[in-house]
Amino acid sequence: MFSSRHRRNSTSRLTLFFATDVHGSTVCFKKFINAAKFYGADVLILGGDVSGKMVVPIARQPDGTHLSSFAGKTVRLDSDEEIANFSRRVADMGFYPQRMTEGEFTELQADPERQHQLFRQLITERIEEWVQWARPRLAETGVKCYAAPGNDDEFFIDDVIGRSGVIELLEMQVVEIDGLEMLSTGWSNATPWKTERECSEDELKAKISEMLTRVRDPALAIFNIHVPPYQTALDQCPELDAELRPVHHGGNPVMTSAGSTAVRELIETYRPVLGLHGHIHEGRGVAHIGPTVCVNPGSNYSEGVLNGSLIRLEDGRVADVQLTQG
Amino acid sequence: MSTIPGEAGSERVFLRKASGLIKSASNTDVFIFDIGLVSVGIGLGGLLLYGPGVYMGGDLFIAVLLAGAAMMLIGLGMLCWTVTIPRSGGIYVFASRSLWPPLAFMLSFAEASAWLFYSAFAAYYVTTIGIAPAVTTIGIIAHSQSLITAGTDLASKGWVFGIGTALEIFGAWLLISGMRRFFLSQKIVFAVAVVGTLILIGALAASSRSSFIHTYNTLMGPHLNVGRDAYHGTIVAASHHGWSNPGFTWSQTLKASNWAFLPLIGAAFSISIGGEIKQVTRGQSIGIVGAIIWSVIAWIVVFVLVYHVMGYNFLSATTYSSLNSVPGASTPVTPWITLLAGIMTNSTVLTALIALGFIAWVWLWLPSQVAYGNRAIMAWSLDRVFPDRFGRVSERTHTPVAAIALATLMAIVFLGLFTFTTYFLSVVFIEVGLAAWTITLAAGTLFPYRRPDLYEKSPISGVRPFGVPVMTIVCALGTIAGVAYFLDLWFDSFAAGHSWHSLSILLGWFAGGFVIYWIMKLYRARHGVNVDLAFKDIPVE
Repeated sequence: MFSSRHRRNSTSRLTLFFATDVHGSTVCFKKFINAAKFYGADVLILGGDVSGKMVVPIARQPDGTHLSSFAGKTVRLDSDEEIANFSRRVADMGFYPQRMTEGEFTELQADPERQHQLFRQLITERIEEWVQWARPRLAETGVKCYAAPGNDDEFFIDDVIGRSGVIELLEMQVVEIDGLEMLSTGWSNATPWKTERECSEDELKAKISEMLTRVRDPALAIFNIHVPPYQTALDQCPELDAELRPVHHGGNPVMTSAGSTAVRELIETYRPVLGLHGHIHEGRGVAHIGPTVCVNPGSNYSEGVLNGSLIRLEDGRVADVQLTQG
Repeated sequence: MSTIPGEAGSERVFLRKASGLIKSASNTDVFIFDIGLVSVGIGLGGLLLYGPGVYMGGDLFIAVLLAGAAMMLIGLGMLCWTVTIPRSGGIYVFASRSLWPPLAFMLSFAEASAWLFYSAFAAYYVTTIGIAPAVTTIGIIAHSQSLITAGTDLASKGWVFGIGTALEIFGAWLLISGMRRFFLSQKIVFAVAVVGTLILIGALAASSRSSFIHTYNTLMGPHLNVGRDAYHGTIVAASHHGWSNPGFTWSQTLKASNWAFLPLIGAAFSISIGGEIKQVTRGQSIGIVGAIIWSVIAWIVVFVLVYHVMGYNFLSATTYSSLNSVPGASTPVTPWITLLAGIMTNSTVLTALIALGFIAWVWLWLPSQVAYGNRAIMAWSLDRVFPDRFGRVSERTHTPVAAIALATLMAIVFLGLFTFTTYFLSVVFIEVGLAAWTITLAAGTLFPYRRPDLYEKSPISGVRPFGVPVMTIVCALGTIAGVAYFLDLWFDSFAAGHSWHSLSILLGWFAGGFVIYWIMKLYRARHGVNVDLAFKDIPVE
C-alpha cells in the first residue's frame, strides 16, 4: 500500500461540488447542474436518492375540473393553467404529478403493482428530462458530472443514468478524478423503511472492501458512500418509535445516530482524503475522523433549496469545505 | 384553484417505499416544549415585584393580556417563517434567505446574544427570587437569625454571581453530556416547576387576608420597624416616603406589561428547533398559542389570589419600600413573591417547595438559552462567518463542545456585568432581541413577494385572505406588535429605556455583529473562500 508520503509532486487544485438527496426535485437538479458555472467547480458529483417519493394524481372529475392533493389538503384545479402551475410546483418539490381520470385513480388506489409501474415510468421520465436539459449545459461548461444512486433508488435507475451519456454512473465503480480515486456506492445499512439498497453492516463492509481492492492507495481516495459514518455530526436524525413517530422528551425531539458502523470502521482503517455522504437530510455538516474530512451537505429538496458543498482540493488534500444553500 | 380542508391521512397521493417518511410529533410535545420556555416563575416574580412596586397604578391583569396578545402575534409571525423555512438556527436561517448577509448575521448575533443574556438573567434570579428569599423565609419562620443572615448574604452580589456561575457551568455540562440527558432533566424540572406552582396556588387559595396579616405581623414584625401592626405600618411608612396608589393608569399598565412580555418571548423559541422535526403547522400553532394562553391564565389566577390574600396596597407598599430602601419598612431580602408566600404559609416545608418551584421555572431557561445560543454559533460556523472550531462536534461526546463553552462563557460574562455593574442593570437586551425579531418579521411581510419561488412551497402558501399571503398579514401584525413593545421598552427607563447606557448596548451589539461579519469575510477571502456563496441562490434556468 502506498503511504501518504507518496502524494503527487505537482501542485494541483480541484474544486468539487457535491450535493445529494434531491429526491426528484427538478429545481434542485437544475441548480446542481448550474452550480458548476455559479461556483466555479471543476467536477459535479450528485449523491444518491435521486428518486422522488410520491405520485400526485390530478384526476379529472365529471364536471371537468381536476382534483388533487397538496400538503394534506384536497385541491380543485379549474383550468389548464392552474394544472400546469400546480404540476410545476409539485415537480419542483420532487413529486410526480400525473393526470388521469377519476376512474383510473380509483383503480390505481386498489392496485399496488400498477402504482409501482407508474412510479418506474415517472421516475425514468423525470431523469431523462433532466438529462436532456443538462446535456447542452454540461457541454458548454465542459465540467465532468457524476452521479450515484442511493438506498431509496430502485436498481433500474442505474441503467437510466448509465445510458444518459452526460452523467457518469458511479455505483460500485472506482473512478479517477485528477489523481484521486473515488469509490462510490448507494447501499446503506438497515433503515426502518426497508428500502431498495439496504444490507447488513457486514455486507456493506464487504461491498466497500471489494472496491478498495481496485484502489491503488486508499489514503488518496475519496469515499463517496451514501450512508454517513456512525456517530458523527453527519448521521444525527430524529429517533423514531415503532410507529415511525419522532420520540420526544419534555417536548424536545430526541436525536440518534443512524449512520453505518462499517463505513466508520473503514474510514478509520484506510484514512481516505475525503468522505462524501448523504442519506440523513438533517445531518448537514463537516466531520473529521482522523485525517479524513467527511461531508454531508444535508438536503432541503422540498423547499427547492439545493444544499451543497464546495470542496477545494489542493495537492491531494482537502484545503477547504464550504457548505452552501443555493 | 381552491383548497378543501380534509381529514388527516385522506391525501389523494401514492407513496412508495422510501426512507424519511415519518409521522408528525404530537401537539402535546410541542406544547410542553413551548410552555417550559415561558418561565411562568420569572413572570410571576417580576410582575409581582416590579408591577406594584415600580409601576403603581398599573393593572397587572390588563398588562399580561396585552403582552400575551402582542407575543401571540409575534409568535405566529415567527411560525410563518419556521414552517416556510424549517431549519434550526433561529432567525439566522430566515434572515440569510431574505436579507443582505451582513444584516442577517448582525440580527442573528444580536438575537443569540440576547438569549444568552436571558440565561444570565435566569442564573441571577435563581438565587435572588428562589434561594435567598427561601432561606430568609425559613429563617424567619424557624426564628433562626443565622438563616436570616444567610439568606441576606446569599442575596449579595458575590454569592449571586458565584451560584449563578456554578449553575451555568452545570448547565453546560448537561448540554455537553448529551441532549438526551438534557431533555430528560428538563422534563423533570418542568414537573417540579408545575407542582411548585400548584402548591403556591393551593396555599393562596387556602389562606385569607386576616390570616396573612396575622402571620405577617407575627413573623416579619420583629424584623421591621413600623410598629406591631407591620402589615398596615408598612403601608403608612411607604406613603410617608413617596408611595401612593394613584388608581389605574394606562401608561403604568403598559410599562408593567414589559415584565410579562419578557418571559413570554420563550413561547416562540420552538422556531429554533424547526430543523430537527418538520412539524405540521397545526402542532406548532397550538404549541406557541397554547403556551401563551396557559401562562397568562396561570398568572391571572395567581394575581387574583395574591390580591385577595395580601392586598394590592400592601404588596405595592412592601415592594416599593424594598426597592426604595424606606427606613424600617424594607424586608430583610427583596420581597419577591416567594418570600411573601412563604411567610403566608408559616411552613418551612411549603416555603421550600414553593421556592423550589420558582427555582425550577427559572432553571428551565438557563441551559435552554445556552442551547439556542450554541445552535446559532454552529450555524454561523457552518457558513464560515465564525471560526471553524465552533462548528465541530466532539468525537467523544457527540456534542458541540466548543460552541457550548463559548455560549456559556458569554452567559457568565453577562451575569457578571448584570450583577456587578449598572451597565446591564435593566433588561435592555430585550430591546436587542426584540429589534432583531421585529426586523425579521418585517422582512417576512415582503417575503412572499420577494421570494415567491420559496414561499410557494410553504404549506401556508395557499392561504390568502383577501388575496394577500397569510405570511404577509401575520408578519405585518407581528411587526406592529414588535414595534409597539420596542417603544414600550424604549420609554420604560426602569426595564430598558433609551439612556446613553441602553443605546450604547443596543447599537453596540448590532454594530459588533456587523464588524464580526466583515472581519470573517475578509479573513476567509484571504484564504480563497467567498462567504457570500453560502447564501446565494443558484439560478435555475
